[in-house]
Amino acid sequence: MSLQKHETKHIQDVLKRKLTKTELQIIAAEWSEHCSYKSSKKHLKMLPTTGLNVISEKGYDSGVLDVGGGYVVTVHIESHNHPSAVEPFGGAATGVGGVIRDILSTGTRPIAILDGLRFGDIENDTHARWLFKNAVSGIADYGNCLGIPTIGGEVEFDDSYKGYALVDVAAIGFGKKNRLIKNHACKGDLVVLIGGSTGRDGIGGSQFASDSLEGEDRSAIQIPDPFIEKLIIETILEARNENCINAMKDLGGGGLSCAVSEIAESLGIGIELDVNNVHTRESGLLPDEIMISESQERMLIITSKQKLPKLRQICNKFRVTCSTIGHVKNDKMMHVKKAKKTLALLPAEFVARAPLLDRKKTKPKYLLQIKKENKVKKTLDYSKIILKLLSSPNIASKHWVFQQYDHEVGIRTVVKPGFDASVLRLDNGKFLSAKIDGNPKHCYLDPRQGAIGCFEEACRNVICTGANPIGMVDHLQFGNPEDPEIFWTFMESLEGLTEYAKFLRIPCVGGKVSFYNETPSGPIKPTPLIGVLGIKDKTPFLSVSPNNDDYLVVIGDTKDELGGSEYFEYIHRFIGGVCPRVNFTDSKINMLAVLSLIKNKLVKSVHDCSKGGLSIALSELSIFGNIGCTIDIEKIPCEENLSSEKILFSESHSRYLLVINKKNIEKVNHILSKKKIAFAVLGKYSGDQIIIKHKSKNLVKFRIDLAQKRYFNGLEDLLKHG
Amino acid sequence: MSTYVVHVIIENKPNISDPEGDTILNDLVLKSKNYSIKKIRVGKILKFTIEATDKKKAEKTVENICQELRIFNPLVSNIVIETKTN
Repeated sequence: MSLQKHETKHIQDVLKRKLTKTELQIIAAEWSEHCSYKSSKKHLKMLPTTGLNVISEKGYDSGVLDVGGGYVVTVHIESHNHPSAVEPFGGAATGVGGVIRDILSTGTRPIAILDGLRFGDIENDTHARWLFKNAVSGIADYGNCLGIPTIGGEVEFDDSYKGYALVDVAAIGFGKKNRLIKNHACKGDLVVLIGGSTGRDGIGGSQFASDSLEGEDRSAIQIPDPFIEKLIIETILEARNENCINAMKDLGGGGLSCAVSEIAESLGIGIELDVNNVHTRESGLLPDEIMISESQERMLIITSKQKLPKLRQICNKFRVTCSTIGHVKNDKMMHVKKAKKTLALLPAEFVARAPLLDRKKTKPKYLLQIKKENKVKKTLDYSKIILKLLSSPNIASKHWVFQQYDHEVGIRTVVKPGFDASVLRLDNGKFLSAKIDGNPKHCYLDPRQGAIGCFEEACRNVICTGANPIGMVDHLQFGNPEDPEIFWTFMESLEGLTEYAKFLRIPCVGGKVSFYNETPSGPIKPTPLIGVLGIKDKTPFLSVSPNNDDYLVVIGDTKDELGGSEYFEYIHRFIGGVCPRVNFTDSKINMLAVLSLIKNKLVKSVHDCSKGGLSIALSELSIFGNIGCTIDIEKIPCEENLSSEKILFSESHSRYLLVINKKNIEKVNHILSKKKIAFAVLGKYSGDQIIIKHKSKNLVKFRIDLAQKRYFNGLEDLLKHG
Repeated sequence: MSTYVVHVIIENKPNISDPEGDTILNDLVLKSKNYSIKKIRVGKILKFTIEATDKKKAEKTVENICQELRIFNPLVSNIVIETKTN
């Protein structure tokens, strides 16, 4: 725990007195990077946050989108990286718990979880494997106990996460618009803490998360209890129906200090509380410990005197402990007492608004040293390379992961995880499509283009289900922001995302910034993670596997963009090259073209080209369809004289593969030509082999059953026998 | 060489909560009016049958295995090792 020089000065200047011990603890927790966003807050304002569907209300911890028919969808994303790196099971599980409570705090029921996981090289590093296995178990255990489906996500391995873990969790909520909590409070209202008891666990967690992971901090371990969380969900939703909740906030990083100061600040009220009234797990907890403990599964509720008995009755029904810890005042002060003794008395606004920083940024030196080209002299056997890529941890099927999750509980899941975006049925007759995507390999080479690419990829996945993107959440994960080179990568990513979001008019409805993701071997690669939500009206688009004589069509240009590709990094162990760049206009017209083909029922299935490039995307279609194809890449839309190597493996954006029935191919041809879309009919489905021709020679030829074996066993074999 | 049975008891550290133990206490034991019970902690026991020259070596070998293979997480749990001669 430490305050910086300028912060100590700021305290002296404003308060003109020394802080008490408790005040110092409260301020240190709230002014940590994790809680205060002191490095990023100034800049995050650039993101577009408004739109026709966006409902904003003071004090909301999650984004709210109006989806019509009197219903809303809420969404939020968080990470639990530091805790997961030291205790992967508990860290990942409590990460799920935290984001679920953010969804709950708006008064909506959590209906789905997505998670993005990143670890070191699991092929060679046993510690990375241990982290991975346990983080997956933690998420599965928590989500399954709650009865909330984990509908998708992504998993990636990269050396820059050695000894570390990125565990990102996004949650989606759903509810009636008129049941949203309209945060408000007036003098005399009561402040109630409900849920788990407060203990010594997780003390200093937010400060721990705002440091590099060098020492192992034992007190920051948090133990998950999904059963209490489930009871809290039901308690809160019933209390919401009985109008017992005036305002609400979940307790996360910074514990009570953070929740009380932030709710008081956002509502413009004062709160007086007595630590003696907080229900604790063990005796002898010090007041300071009570104020900053990050014990899980707790919610802060402001209710009126009249409604308190009803709230207590509901809590008793679900056997959730609730204690009235304080009351609302008009003085805008945060007043912490122990019986009659005052321990802290600070303006709430002062606590909640840490002095913001202007961090320096400079372009990193490593970017100048990156090689642009990787010269491979001898001709390679592309069939072998594709098969090797199919079994590589980043590309192979992730069913080992998502089969541990219950992805159907709640019977809303229409399109299950494993392919592109997942789709949920909503009560208003519409369908919600959701996906999260990141790509640190691209972002390392070019943080701006890489971040835009992640955003486009998430949009593409949503588009592949026929849905129209309506909102995004971002999670920006970087190393130490005090290093100007790292701060530069953060700013580049943020500016890129802003630019693309404004162009597509997709509002950013929530997000999180996580800095200090460092290990003794250095900072992680820049890892912005983007989640996109889409809506499809009336009927869901359920893809159909290709049959004999169906056509394979590609939309979008393939470019000389092998930088950060799996082909470079996994096959050649080469970090460098040109990072793929999104052409905004093409991106938009390609999206609209795909959506219109789906709407007119002209396509059987759509798959986006991403990791591994065209060769992997078309292999995946054949693997899932259990049918071979013969295609010719000569006609593919691309830059002039692009080598076959680049056509097969370049990870250029804005590309889609479409499976078209023979009877529709003329129509599709006509529509795409009329819209002036870059596209080509690549070939036809038949047989049991994938044959890729170039200049009338067979460039690639392998059997589907072999590809299936590699693709489905790659990751599982590694974890079971590795 | 003798054969030893080494018991490894894994339990969350005293200051770390134990939801499973709490649930058994609150939802089974106290509900059945066994008010004399004040606390329940849940753990896990592993029984290693091992050949070694002496008890000390047997215990050391087992402890090393538990540490190296991450059979428990030393940040969360403590282990207690007890040995019985077979």
